[in-house]
Amino acid sequence: MIERLAIPNLGNYTVALAAMVTGMGAEPWWSTYTSDHAMALGIAAAPESVCLPFKAHLGHFIEADNAGVENALMVNSIGACRLNYYRGMLEETLKDMGRKIRIFGLGFDGFKPPVFRYFDPPLIPLLRTVFIGLEKIKAIDTIELKTAYTRAREVNTGETSLLMERCLRELSEINTKKAVRRFHKEMHKRFETIQIDKSRAPLRIGLIGEVSLLRDRQLNHNLEQILGHMGVEIKNFFLLGGEIGNNFGLSMGYKKNTAKYLAAVAKPYLESEVGGHARDSVAHTITCAQTGFDAMVHVCPTGCMPEVSIRPILRKISEDMDIPILPLSFDEHTCALGVATRVEAFLDILRSRRQRGVRGASGRRRA
Amino acid sequence: MPERGCKNVKIGIPRAFYYHSYPRLWECFFRRLGHEPVVSSQSTQKTLELACAQTEMENCLPQKLFDGHVLSLIDSVDALFVPRVLSIVHGHNCCPRFGALPDATRAGIARGVPLLSVEINETVAPLSKTLLRLARTIEADRRTANLAVQEAIEAMEQHHREEAQMQRAQCDNRKFLLLGHPYTLHDHFIADPIVKKLKKLQAPLELMTFGDNDISPGDILWCVFNKMYRKLQSLDRNAYAGVIQISAFNCGADSMMTERFRRMCKQNGVPYMLLMVDEHTGRAGVDTRLEAFVDSLSWQRADRAK
Repeated sequence: MIERLAIPNLGNYTVALAAMVTGMGAEPWWSTYTSDHAMALGIAAAPESVCLPFKAHLGHFIEADNAGVENALMVNSIGACRLNYYRGMLEETLKDMGRKIRIFGLGFDGFKPPVFRYFDPPLIPLLRTVFIGLEKIKAIDTIELKTAYTRAREVNTGETSLLMERCLRELSEINTKKAVRRFHKEMHKRFETIQIDKSRAPLRIGLIGEVSLLRDRQLNHNLEQILGHMGVEIKNFFLLGGEIGNNFGLSMGYKKNTAKYLAAVAKPYLESEVGGHARDSVAHTITCAQTGFDAMVHVCPTGCMPEVSIRPILRKISEDMDIPILPLSFDEHTCALGVATRVEAFLDILRSRRQRGVRGASGRRRA
Repeated sequence: MPERGCKNVKIGIPRAFYYHSYPRLWECFFRRLGHEPVVSSQSTQKTLELACAQTEMENCLPQKLFDGHVLSLIDSVDALFVPRVLSIVHGHNCCPRFGALPDATRAGIARGVPLLSVEINETVAPLSKTLLRLARTIEADRRTANLAVQEAIEAMEQHHREEAQMQRAQCDNRKFLLLGHPYTLHDHFIADPIVKKLKKLQAPLELMTFGDNDISPGDILWCVFNKMYRKLQSLDRNAYAGVIQISAFNCGADSMMTERFRRMCKQNGVPYMLLMVDEHTGRAGVDTRLEAFVDSLSWQRADRAK
């Protein structure tokens, strides 16, 4: 019998990761968001003051163990932030609870990581699925971008979200590279079938901050959809395709926003790497201010070490370059209604700014 | 930045973070270069109140204290010294907060005050080289700079030696080990009430020292925690009555590591207590917990003796 492998949540991108895991000779166990039930399990089992993504991951893996999944995969990191210690701590906590699930690390653990040693996948099929996975990542990047554009302009609220779900479901079932490419091409047309109001000039808001929060819609209480349905065009700055291009030097067809470029942009305000995506957050805020975004929303778990420490810098940029920033921090007590209320109030301010002509629809400041 | 080549610049050093990680180093260094280091006074409730109005709400307690120290200094100094401490031990790193510290301070609470900064990264360059670079940026001639660096590092090592000796002198074999960051253990606001209370209970106490730069191999990359880990690994259960860990509220690193330390102590059979210190003034909670911990351990000892 094929063993199962639980993979961590990375929002919609989990679809692509799941495709890669099949090549390892394991059956992937995944979901695109952490369920309520998993959150409750994680919160109960984790030490109280660790950050929210840890609790989400822990809950996710406990749920996997309950479902009888034998193995789990967790990304490794070598940064200065807490993510570095996630895997070890997950292992220890699960062991303490008497759980049987095995946790494998991925990344920064040698030429042949333990997870490959264990499953020992044949090379050619593995590579094939990896390429399919990379292709899927590109397709998901497009889904993300299209969704953000269409959702802000759709005439019948909710259509885009449904289409996105449908696309992801279909994408997860495709298993050849060619078919993924064909699907990718068709997708453009499918999004065009949604009736949109082109005369609208929606507010444009950049989403920056911590990855899990940006990507897991359970953790951020569906922030993207809330904003989209209020008629805001969002730009989520975590696109996995671009990220992989940056971190591993794989060319995914993304020329913009390389790590080097972002560092240069952030330099006047932040001269050094901080950890996590803190420097990127600073750089994106600067570029957004220059390219006429209406505002930024900065999301992070409560007490996130890198993201909280750059908040004074973001505030300074906000003053210097006249771009409003809404800092939102999330913990297990944050409720969806609270988020929606704060976002609503923020949008009201942005609309009145626009009316007063502080920032025009085109983004350029009027005299 | 102070004007080039001028002397007697008042350089403010907040008594927080890197001041405690590099004891005596900065005062000695700047004094030898002909400047006047001004170290803020011990942190008190007032320091915290000063900070609370301006600091980021979600910051950890030591960061809030740091902000308070900076605010207490800015009116009386010509420049502030805030280095970027990326690594204290080769191949290891520090809390990510330190990477953004000078920039965040400049953008936040210390606007308008010239900031003197240097990147301390032991992985890239040893401390002496970093100090030389710093000396050059404030226009010291080579000879003075060399002397200042030598003397400053010597002063720091001297301090580390004295401290280690003092802690070792606690030869009582039922002593308590106090664990924490250098900047929590030596902070007047955070650790002092705990140290005083333990003295009052006549519990012999050893403070964790960080002068020794030996590192244990393993996955802990945060220097300070690696040193604590090493200490706990070689902890003799007969020499110590218990371990008391001071954790500052909202410290991210503590939240990850204390759990592991607790586990280690449990395996070793050494009693372990975690004390979380936050900005509240009520000390009764801490007092009660310390009393209970010390008492229960002494009863246990009495039981065994029977």
